[in-house]
Amino acid sequence: MSDVIDTLLEIAPDSPVGKLRRERPDVVKHLQGSDDVIFSPADDGGLTRPERAAAALRVAELLRDDVLVRHYRARLAALDPKGTLLKTVDGHSELTDARWDAIVAHVDLVTRGPGLATRDDIDELTAAGLSSHAIVSLSQLISFVNFQARVLAGLRMLKGVA
Amino acid sequence: MKPIRDFTHGELGWKPWVTPLDITAATQEQLSALKVTPSNRAVGAYSLVLAHDPEALNERSPLYNGIMFGAKGLPRAERELGAVMASRINGCAYCASVHALRFNQLAKQPEVMELLQRDGIDAKLEPRLKAIVDYAAKLTRDPAAITPADAAPLRAQGLSDLEILDLTNAVAMFAWANRLMQTLGEAADPAAPGNPL
Repeated sequence: MSDVIDTLLEIAPDSPVGKLRRERPDVVKHLQGSDDVIFSPADDGGLTRPERAAAALRVAELLRDDVLVRHYRARLAALDPKGTLLKTVDGHSELTDARWDAIVAHVDLVTRGPGLATRDDIDELTAAGLSSHAIVSLSQLISFVNFQARVLAGLRMLKGVA
Repeated sequence: MKPIRDFTHGELGWKPWVTPLDITAATQEQLSALKVTPSNRAVGAYSLVLAHDPEALNERSPLYNGIMFGAKGLPRAERELGAVMASRINGCAYCASVHALRFNQLAKQPEVMELLQRDGIDAKLEPRLKAIVDYAAKLTRDPAAITPADAAPLRAQGLSDLEILDLTNAVAMFAWANRLMQTLGEAADPAAPGNPL
């Protein structure tokens, strides 16, 4: 059965790279499992599904992964039909919502300069109203997409495409 | 920038910025997620922070184990080398220290970490390790810059496609781990009980 990584690579499970991936069944299973619970959690802790898709889109854009950008743009479009969050990620509208502003700032920080983070950055999320659950979920999400982009880069290399 | 501490000797502690879960108030789901953390040591502050989102922790722990400890494929020491390089570039002294130690335990080549500490990416390592280090550095810095040509130096050193996949996964996992470690808390002395991944 195809999973998200197969779809993003445009490969079939029985293709050479699809078979290679399946030599690591635990990795295939829990990579997809992570994707599922990060983007469609049973308990979102206050970080909504549209917000999760929008934050992931922002990471994909920062990493300049066009395939991943299209993937998260489509996921967000399905969850945010009015395009409110999409506009903020694309930078076409003012970030006037303090909570969302704090989330986007954190996405950028954790993706670009995780070594620069301080306790103040967490305190700002808390001040913006995020629960401990939401802060951990946001951190897992940003880190997951950073992971995912590197897995994809390596698999594309093995597939022989740039 | 945080100061880069000693990468090769001993483990550093980790101090959370998010209040760790009070284990006496944990739900069954949180307790269950904590059980499958990748080491069997006492539950540390790091795991207790991650347990605020038990669904994510419950998937990530077996994913981490599959990547770093899965049978066959890339020797475990070389997965640790990928982890060390990613951690150094991401500035995660805690992760780099822990995984340098694991590399030394597995590879019995302490000079490798000494050279890396002294000369960084320019360290004069044996060709196979050099190819691993170069790929790990490039993938960590800018995954969009990776092209099919980057597989050639790895294949020239005898890495199979499964080994290259394992290396990719290990480096990618530390793009994840380094971000959690450095943004949910900080390395701190003295050493505290923790669960360093």
